[in-house]
Order: sequence, then C-alpha cells, then structure tokens
Amino acid sequence: MSFKWWPVRRTVQFLVLALIASPWAGLAVFRGNLAAGDLFGLSLADPLAFLQATLASRQFVPSFLLSAAIVTAFYFLVGGRTFCGWICPVYLLTELGEKLRARFGGVDRSYSLNGTRWAFAVTLVVSLAAGIPLFEVLSPLGITARAIMFRAWLPLLLPLAILIVELFVARRIWCRSLCPVGGFYSLIARFSPLRVGFETSKCNHCGVCREACPVEEVLAPSLESGARQVVSGHCTRCMRCLDSCRTKAFRVNLTYR
Amino acid sequence: MAIETPTTGITRRRFLKNGVAVPLALALAGGSISTLFLRRADARGFYLRPPGALEESRFLAACVKCGKCAQACPNNSIRMAGAEAGIGIGTPHIIARETPCYLCPDLPCVKACPSGALDKTLTEVEKVRMGTAVIVDREACLSIRGLRCEVCYRECPLIDKAITIEPRHNERTGTHTIMEPVIHRDKCVGCGICEHACVREKPVIVVIKSPPEQKDSYEF
Amino acid sequence: MTVSRRDFLKASAAAAAFAAAGASALNPLRPKDADAASTSGLTWGKAPCRFCGTGCGVLVGVKDGKIVATKGDPQAPVNKGLNCIKGYFLSKILYGKDRLTKPLIRKGNRMVEASWDEAMNLIAAKFKESIAKHGPNSVAIYGSGQWTIADGYAAAKLFKGGIGTNNVEANARLCMASAVVGFMTTFGSDEPMGCYDDLDLGDTYILWGANMAECHPVLFSRLIDNRLRNPKVKIVDFGTRFTRTSQMANQYVKFAPQSDLALLNAIAHVIVKEKLYDQGFINKHVVFKKGKEKIGYGLEDKFKFADDPKPMTFEEYQAFLKPYTPEYASKVSGVPAKTIVEIARLYADKSRKVCSLWTMGVNEHSRGSWVNNLIYNVHLLTGKICRPGENPMSLTGQPSACGTAREVGTFTHRLPADMVVTNPEHREKAARIWGVDPHKIPDKPSYHTVEMFRALDRGDIRCMWIQCTNPFQSMPNLNRYRKGARKEGRFIVVSDIYPNRTTEQADVILPTASWVEKEGMWGNAERRTHHFHKLVNAPGEGRSDLAQLIDFAHRMGYGHLFPYKHPEKEIWEEYRKFGEGQGKDLAPYESYVKARGLRWPVVNGKETRWRYVEGHDPYVKAGEGIKFYKNKATNYKAVIWARPYEPPAEIPDKQYPFWLCTGRVLEHWHTATMTGRVMELKRANPNAVCEMHPEDAKRLGIKNRDKVRVSSRRGSVVLTVDLNGRGKSERGNLFVPFFDETKLINELCIDAYCPLSGEPDFKKCAVRVEKA
Repeated sequence: MSFKWWPVRRTVQFLVLALIASPWAGLAVFRGNLAAGDLFGLSLADPLAFLQATLASRQFVPSFLLSAAIVTAFYFLVGGRTFCGWICPVYLLTELGEKLRARFGGVDRSYSLNGTRWAFAVTLVVSLAAGIPLFEVLSPLGITARAIMFRAWLPLLLPLAILIVELFVARRIWCRSLCPVGGFYSLIARFSPLRVGFETSKCNHCGVCREACPVEEVLAPSLESGARQVVSGHCTRCMRCLDSCRTKAFRVNLTYR
Repeated sequence: MAIETPTTGITRRRFLKNGVAVPLALALAGGSISTLFLRRADARGFYLRPPGALEESRFLAACVKCGKCAQACPNNSIRMAGAEAGIGIGTPHIIARETPCYLCPDLPCVKACPSGALDKTLTEVEKVRMGTAVIVDREACLSIRGLRCEVCYRECPLIDKAITIEPRHNERTGTHTIMEPVIHRDKCVGCGICEHACVREKPVIVVIKSPPEQKDSYEF
Repeated sequence: MTVSRRDFLKASAAAAAFAAAGASALNPLRPKDADAASTSGLTWGKAPCRFCGTGCGVLVGVKDGKIVATKGDPQAPVNKGLNCIKGYFLSKILYGKDRLTKPLIRKGNRMVEASWDEAMNLIAAKFKESIAKHGPNSVAIYGSGQWTIADGYAAAKLFKGGIGTNNVEANARLCMASAVVGFMTTFGSDEPMGCYDDLDLGDTYILWGANMAECHPVLFSRLIDNRLRNPKVKIVDFGTRFTRTSQMANQYVKFAPQSDLALLNAIAHVIVKEKLYDQGFINKHVVFKKGKEKIGYGLEDKFKFADDPKPMTFEEYQAFLKPYTPEYASKVSGVPAKTIVEIARLYADKSRKVCSLWTMGVNEHSRGSWVNNLIYNVHLLTGKICRPGENPMSLTGQPSACGTAREVGTFTHRLPADMVVTNPEHREKAARIWGVDPHKIPDKPSYHTVEMFRALDRGDIRCMWIQCTNPFQSMPNLNRYRKGARKEGRFIVVSDIYPNRTTEQADVILPTASWVEKEGMWGNAERRTHHFHKLVNAPGEGRSDLAQLIDFAHRMGYGHLFPYKHPEKEIWEEYRKFGEGQGKDLAPYESYVKARGLRWPVVNGKETRWRYVEGHDPYVKAGEGIKFYKNKATNYKAVIWARPYEPPAEIPDKQYPFWLCTGRVLEHWHTATMTGRVMELKRANPNAVCEMHPEDAKRLGIKNRDKVRVSSRRGSVVLTVDLNGRGKSERGNLFVPFFDETKLINELCIDAYCPLSGEPDFKKCAVRVEKA
C-alpha cells in the first residue's frame, strides 16, 4: 500500500476543529478562532482580519500586525490557499458537498475564481469606507468557529445553507468565487516555494489527475502549458493529484521553479 | 495573472459573465448587505462591552470577533452576540443581569484581545468604564422606601466609592433611617454587579452606557 | 408584591381598624377556621419575622392556603412597617422546591419515605431501647432559639420531667449563653433591663463586637435615625473588622482579638483613677466580687468548671484594676492609650446617656461571660443603667433565643424563669407545675452543647433529636462532630423543613411545619413576647415540632404530661405560672393574640420597658429608685466582677499565622436553609467569600477574587478572596461568613468555649491561607 495524502489532510482538518473546541476541555492549546487565535501561546491572526480591523478602526496595533505577518509568511511558504485545503472548516463542508453531489447528483454550474479576489477588494474598500470589518460580520468561518467555541448550534444553519446553495445553485461557489480569504491567499501564492510538481516523463496521460483535481482551472492549464509545476494561485495543495496518479508523476516541490 | 487567461477555449461571453458580471454582482451584493447592516449594534438593543472597549463605533470597527476575550473570562460573563445584534454579530458583550463583570484585577479579557478593540493601556480595574449604574425606578427601590436592603451598595466592588449611602430621616415611621444608595458616576465602572444583585424582579439599578445628559431630579 | 405608598396607607388604615375593633374580629385566622378563611381571597394575619432576634412585626397575606405576600406591620412598634431584605422575602422562604413533605427513614445510604406512624414508632423504639440499655442520659434533644415557647417548654417538660434527663440543649448555647451568664452573675436575672426605646433616647452608643448594620438591620436604622435627629449622638464601634457598622459610626476603634478584656478593664481603670465613677450609685447598688482565674478553654472532653465567687471591696477592686493602665491595654489591643482614656471619659460624661450594645463578638468568646461582666462594670461604676436611654443591651440573633431558650430554659442546667436544676426548691416548683415527681428531674446538669456533641461522638449519647436547627453546619470543629454522628450505634432524628447539612446525617427526617404553618409565641431581645396564629397548613404531611414532641411523648408513655386540647394555649397558661410573682410575669394568652407583642414583666396588663427602676418596673416600690430585686444573695445589688485579661485558646503562630473570624451577612440568616431558597437573596449573595487585608494578600501574591485554601488544625476550605468587600479585615485577620452550606467554614473553628457559659468561640482561631 503506497502512501496517500488524503488521510493526513483529513486528520489535519479535523484537528483544526478539535483545536477550536479544545477550550471546552479546559485545554489551553488553542484559544480564539481563525480570525485571531493563540496556538501554544503564540498569537496568530488572519491577515485579512488584520487588514479589515486596521482599515476600519484606523488604529494600528503592532502586535496584531506581527501575528498577521507570521501567518502571511507561513502561508506564503506553504502555498497560499493551502489554508483552504488543510485548515478552513468551510472547505471541509465544500468537500462534503462534492461527495454528496457525486452520489446524488446536483447542479454543475460554477463561477469564476476571480470572484474571491474581487471579494477581497470589496472587503477592504468597504471596511475602510464604512468603518466596519465587513467580512468578519458575514464570515461563515467566524460564525462556524464561534458556534463550536461557544457551543451555540443555531449559527450552524449558515454552513448548512452554504451546503444547500452549493448543491443546488453553483458548485463550490463559496470557495471558488466568494471567499475573500481565499482571494487573499491566492494572491500571496504567486511565488510560493511549496508546489505540486510533475515529471512529464512518468506521465501516461491517463487523465485521472484531471478528474481528481477539484478546481478545473488549476491543474489542467498547468499541465497543458507544459509548466513543471502547478502555477495557479488557487491550488489548495489538496494533494488529490498525487494520490490519484498511478505512475507517480507528481511530487512535492520545495522550491519555486 | 496571465497564467490564468483562458487557454481552454473559454468564450468571450463566458469570460464577461464570469470575469466581470459576477464580481460586479458580488460587489453590489456586498455593498448592499453592508449598508443594510450599517447601523450601530446598540440600535437593536443595548450592549455592555467588556472592560477597555473602545467607543462603540470604533469598537465595532476594531473587533474581529475572535472570542478570545470570552474564553479568557473566568466567570463566563462575556458572551458573543448572535445575528440579532446586526452589525454587532459575533461581538463580545456582557448581560449584567445574568452574569456581570467581576473585575478580575489582571483583566484577562483585555489582555486576550488581539486587535486593540479592548484597550490594552487599561490596567487598573478602577479605570474601567463600561457604563454607569443608574437607579431607574426610585418608586421600586426598597432602600429608598426605607427597607434595609442596600444589596447594590454592599455588593459594589467599589463600595463607598461608586455607591455610597445617604441616610435620611424616615418621616413615616419617625424613628427609622432611609438608607439611600447614591451612585457616583465619576467612580462607577459599570461592571453591573449591582444590576445583577438587585432583588427586584425588574432591577431598579441598571448599567447604561451613556448616562442621559438631562439631569435627573434625584441627583445630589 | 410591591408595596406602593397607597398600599402602605391602606395597610395603615387596616392596622388602625385592627386596633379599634380588636384583633380577633379582624384576624379570623384561628386554628379551626384557618382553612375556611384562607380559601376566600387574600387575608392578612400578624406574625413576628422568622429571622433574627430583632422581632420585627409583619403582616402575612394568605390566599388559597398559601402565603402570597408579606409586609412590614405598620402597627409593630419595633419596625413600624419596615423590614430588612430577608424580612421582605418572608413569603418565599417556605416554598422552596425541595421542601420536605414526608417522613424519611434511612435504609443504608438512602432515605426512604415512610408514614408518620412508622417513623414515630421507630424513634420511640430506638429511644426506649437506648434508655433501657444505657440509661436516660443516653438520649438527648437539641433545639433552638427558633423553637416556639411551647415547643421548648414541651421538650424541657418531656425530657427533664418525663424521661428524666437534663440532656436538653439549644443552639442558643452557641450565641447567647455568655450573655445569660453575664446577666445572671451580675444582676441575678437573665435578660436586659432596657429595651429598644433606648436606641431612640440615648445619645452615646458604644458597640462591642456587633455588626448591627448587617445583623440587626432595622434596629441599626433606628439607631442611625436617632443621630439624624440629634446631632449630639455619637456612635463608637469597637471591632476587629471594619464593617458597614464601622462605616456609619462616628468612630471606629479596631482592636486585637481577645483584647476587649484588657480594654474594658482599662476603661474601668481610667474611670476609677480619674474618679469619674458615681460613688452614690456604687454605695447603694453595687457589690464587688472576684471569681476564679486561669479557667481554661474546655478543649478536652468532659471539661468541668465551677466558679468560686469571693466578695471583695471597692479598694480591692481598684487594686485589681491597677495593672490595666491605658498603656498596658494599648499594648495588648493596639488601641492608642489616648483613645482608651477618651472612651472612658465618654462613658463617664455626666451630660451623656450612654448605651453599650453588643452581639456575638462578645458572646462567642472563650471569655464571653467575663466580657459581659466587664461591660456591666463600666455601666455600674458610672451608674448609667436602668434609665431610659442609658443601658447595656445585649442583642440576640434568633427570634426566640430569649423567649424560648432563655426564658423557658432549654439548657441542661436550667428550668423555666431563671431557675436551675441544681436548686431543690426550683426542682420542686417545676415538678409541681409539671405534675411529675420532683426526684424525676436530675439534680445535676449533664452536657452543654459542645459536650453534648462530644458525648455523641464518644457514644455516651446514643440517640439525639435535633429540631429547628442545623448543628452539622453550625457547630465548631465540625469534622469531629459530623463524623461522630454517623458512627455505629448512633440514632439521629432531624425535624426540619428543607434538606440541609444536618438532615444528611439523619436516620429519620421529620417534615416540619414552620413559622405561621403552626401557632406559636416567640420572645425577642427586648423581652417582647409575640404571638402568631397558624395561618396556613404545612405542605405535605409536615407537622409542628410541638405536635411531634407530644406524639413522641404518648409513644414513650408520657402522654399524661400533655393532656391538652389546644396545646399552644394551655401550655402558655401552664408555663406562665413559673414567672408569676418572680419578676418574669407574663400576660394571659389572649393579651398576646391582640397585641403586637408585650415586654415582660407584664403586671396587670401593663408591660415593662425598663426593669429594676421605679416608675417603670412594678416590682420596684415608690422611693426605691433602682433595685436589682432579683439578686437576693447580694441584698439586691448588682455585682461588679474583677475579671482579668487572659489570652485566647489558640493564637496565630508561624504555621497558622492568621486569625479567622466567622459571622453573618445581611442577605442570609444563619445557615441559609431558608434564605438560600429565595432566588433573589441567593443571587444577591451567592457564596461565602474570604475577606482579607489587601496588604496581607499582596504579601502572599493573592489577588482579588483568587481562590484560596484556608486551613486550620481542624479542617480546610477553598474560598474566593474578597479584598474590597463590605467588610474589611484588619491585618492578620480573615473573615468568612458561615451561611454557605457548600463551604463549611466551621470545620476550621476551634471548639474552645467559655468555661462559665459553655459558649464556643467562633470568632478566633488560627488559620493559614494559600493560593488554591
């Protein structure tokens, strides 16, 4: 049995949920949520949350910047939307949506990946103009995480609604087109060192990897363009291509080429 | 971004639709939702903010709703607002009647705040200003009626500073004292312990955020 | 249940009508028609408040067989329509969700419902078995100052006159016994000469170990009002803790625990040295005596003490006072010598009417009886006694600590009306009134409270019946006595209204009628006897303590001692015979039904406000002025006692460096079995906290609201620290209230007691504090 990435990734995803819930058990492992949190005492912050709060309140908190910078640097190194594929609870939901669609069918409509970058821009502009951290008000990430943190189950209707929308309106609409966090991370991923690389020599052109990749704009164009690695900023490093390839044509690159 | 320009035969129409129309719709939707929500959270009901909270509109701007202050509170006094709070969704607040702020001397909630929504320069509990207690119903206050209650006074963490007792002769009995609790707004931190402790079904002493400008008739 | 001004007016009008038409017409709530009356709309009856010894009058509103409202009785002279916050919630105390409604019998670790017949048969069988095997002194009854007079009377009559044991005690031993010894040794008769009117009429009030602001709220409101009306009034608060009383006093004098003995002697010293005493008064009304010294602390089981009074002269007394210079007392107490001299001059100031007021700081003291004596000394030296507005006044903590425990004499050594079991004439008289053989009443006291629980632990007492009190929360050195009660072969019966820390120790729990669920009479701190009718039925199968005792008497074969048709009334008339002509005269039953209480002696229908003084007390003839007519042995004079300073039983040391003092808060009463069921009071003051001086806390790295473990040699408990609360402990002192059943602070208290009174010292023991 050869090594598979998916159990690792799935474990990390659930570990994140467990970390968010950890204060219930009185464990001080993690406090806060994905907007801002302390992991083993280290203060971390979502760079987007930092940008919004800073623009909205016109107040600069150096420690907040530091926390956001640590996170930005980390995701730059590991590939931007790696956050989506490995950390974000909403992505987990999206994956559930995909599974349900595969079994029961559903709409096959989808919208542009650019939406996330627009959303990012709109968030910053509105935050600055209205003095409100716009995304933090609406964020299903925040709402879901708070629901877990404070054991309030009613807000979980929102992720449920997203699931329904994804099944009946448009495929992966939140992650593909609406989420400003995804937009932001797609931008910083341009020169990220950690990338999915491929050796065309090993490829037998079976096409399984294209089927496996959840975002058709990510893998296929890179393969077709003859690049040595996945170039799209929207790659979530979900590693499905690696797991799917029977000839082991994919590998993890640790330097940008 | 040139990498992503259509190389897979995307039509001009589809490009327009996905690349321009959708984001535009998105921006419009975002804008309209935000204007819809653009009102102060306390327009939908009053929220007592944790110690050190900035002025309400700046607080709403700075708070990233991470919930760390609530997790840091040893008394579970700080709750996170739900959708009923409008723009204030997910912001921390204190419902004094249920669980007031017990003024931990090291202010763990303020320390926990990453974004500066709770002002870290606040280090002394006596400088906390969450609001001010006021007696909203003198008719219903048992102490003012001459009964020996004064629970708010005895429970006040700034006893003899924020609340004092003004004794005066009880004309009705002729031999007893009315021990009236008097609130000193310059000292009151607004922790809400008095509101929580008040023995009346509807508390006669409550914490309000900004005391009315108009002088009350009973002020001394 | 809000009381608006209109309600007040209405109530006043109603009350006026009461007075005009006679209570019986407007107060139809006689036992027989209680049910009929309570089904038709809201009916009001009168009662004294269920809680402290102040004895506020309340009106109780009854509808559909339940109390739905209470309000201060505008006609009640004590409170004139006011209440404290506990009294305000009286209507809720009986209706907690966990009210006991059925007899329960222990089956292993479970309490199983049983019928009254089963429960009472079991109790009678166990008591009979124990008496047969181990003698009558193996059974005991432990009651309280919340017993009605009839309850206490029946208990004393049954146990002393029927079963033939002096194992009758009451929790009043824990709060008033030292005051009793003080009164008896100084004046030859228990209870104060003054009354609450002194609070309105005096101008100088010296408080000793009394937090009136919280523990006698309505009286304190009266005291402060006196000062509001009269700018001359000065209130001095002597204490070891800065309380709400200290805050409102003109002067707060902090002193080291136990040093009150030295301070009071120093005050006497100054009065004598500066010749501020009233020589005429002393010549006419005072003798001097000294008793034993180095009298011990009763820490060991079966501790015995008998004082050996010796007369002395004024000169000898002056010589005794010699060492108690203000400087010496200052060294012992920490009070500046100058202050001591000032207070002495204040006491002696001819232009001032001085009252001393005290409560548990004085009584719950390993030399409590002595401190009581020493306070009287100052009043007797200066002649400031028995006159309106100038009296020493001991305040009580229970509604009938005076009426029942002290007047009926539900103590091991006592018989009703100041009589004692050691006196053959007294036994003779009691036996005559009770209709028993005089030899039946044992001529020796058996165990006072602490010794009684020690006897239970040792196994000398096998069966104990506890009524109307919560000793397994309120005793000192609780761990020992809680364990003792659960030992093999012990049988504990508890009559109560709610599950509490005492019912959990019980073998049989009897659901009990409380307050106006039965008829009763109580006596407050100013000798005022109140009557209340039964206004509602107890929920479930609850029965009054009296009914339980009479039922038990029948099963034990002493039914003939209780041949009553209307026990409450007939017992009263029987009990009244004890005090008649003894300066303890009580009025016929009917008078109390009408009145808002009467202060004894009640002679020819007239109550007495000031005892021992001509013009007020009918026992003092014209021309006699003042006469301490109960002190036959000293030719009707009061006694000034030479009582030295002696250290307390336990002093803080390296290992246990803090003093611990326990006490009350305004919101709760005693162990909070009742007030803890009132959601509003519980919310207002949910848990006991540990008051500490901020500098002590800082030194130990303790911050406000930190959890700390407080431990003594006897137990330990975890508490939240309060550094800026209602009470401010002095350096080296801690204060913890004892109401909280989840934090048994009494586990830490030492069971040292005053050898004269048997009253334990809840105010001082050595403890340590550490962060929990």
